[in-house]
Amino acid sequence: MVKVYSFEACPWCNKVKKYLDSKGVEYEVHDVELNAEDAAACEKLTGDTAVPVLTVDDKNYILGFDKAKIDALLGL
Amino acid sequence: MGIYDFTVKTNKGVEKNLGDYKGKVLLIVNTASKCGFTPQFKELQELYKTYKDRGLEILGFPCNQFAGQEPGSNDEVQTFCRANYGVTFQIFEKGDVRGETAQPLFKYLTEQKKFEGFDENHPIAAKLVEALKQNFPEYLEGDGIKWNFTKFLVDKEGNVVARFEPTTNPASIAKDIEALL
Repeated sequence: MVKVYSFEACPWCNKVKKYLDSKGVEYEVHDVELNAEDAAACEKLTGDTAVPVLTVDDKNYILGFDKAKIDALLGL
Repeated sequence: MGIYDFTVKTNKGVEKNLGDYKGKVLLIVNTASKCGFTPQFKELQELYKTYKDRGLEILGFPCNQFAGQEPGSNDEVQTFCRANYGVTFQIFEKGDVRGETAQPLFKYLTEQKKFEGFDENHPIAAKLVEALKQNFPEYLEGDGIKWNFTKFLVDKEGNVVARFEPTTNPASIAKDIEALL
């Protein structure tokens, strides 16, 4: 399952979600402001506190809104 | 009317009278989830950690009035944001800070300390002015808040002694804070 670490007032997070919606990709939203465990997991994955972070396998991830990288990771 | 006459709400919805902060040095800031342009949460948190035991309180007022207006092309702008988690100073309820709908506290602060220009040597200054010209030309007029992370320094007696624009990094305010502690 595709995971998107994000928070509500983050415009780049919303762009990632909208892009996935437009491609018909299902994903789980992990809100790093509302959920401390998600925040910790995201920081552990990336070593940073920035979002959006998109991951499929909890190892490889994409930070930020980058269509080309998202397409490559998800094989779109 | 002084700073201690204002009552505001914390982000948990609890009413807080600013009179509770008598005897503290205050740094009052309009904050925003940071998306590349004005990344100042981290430095504010560092100031807070350094000076809170000596009587500094930082009061953060989240505001979305400048949201979604990140300047520059996508190539220049980081396409990510940082949430405000990790910040231990007090964050208040989200609200407006400029114009007719501004919270009374910010009307008061901007009356006490007028806009005296940006620090043009700051790396974001030129981009900020350009973004304002494009998106909110009227914001460049008058004394209202220009952008996220405008900082007001209040002494232990409640006098608003200084205003720092987004083009002043929190770390460089340390000496001004020390002088008041």
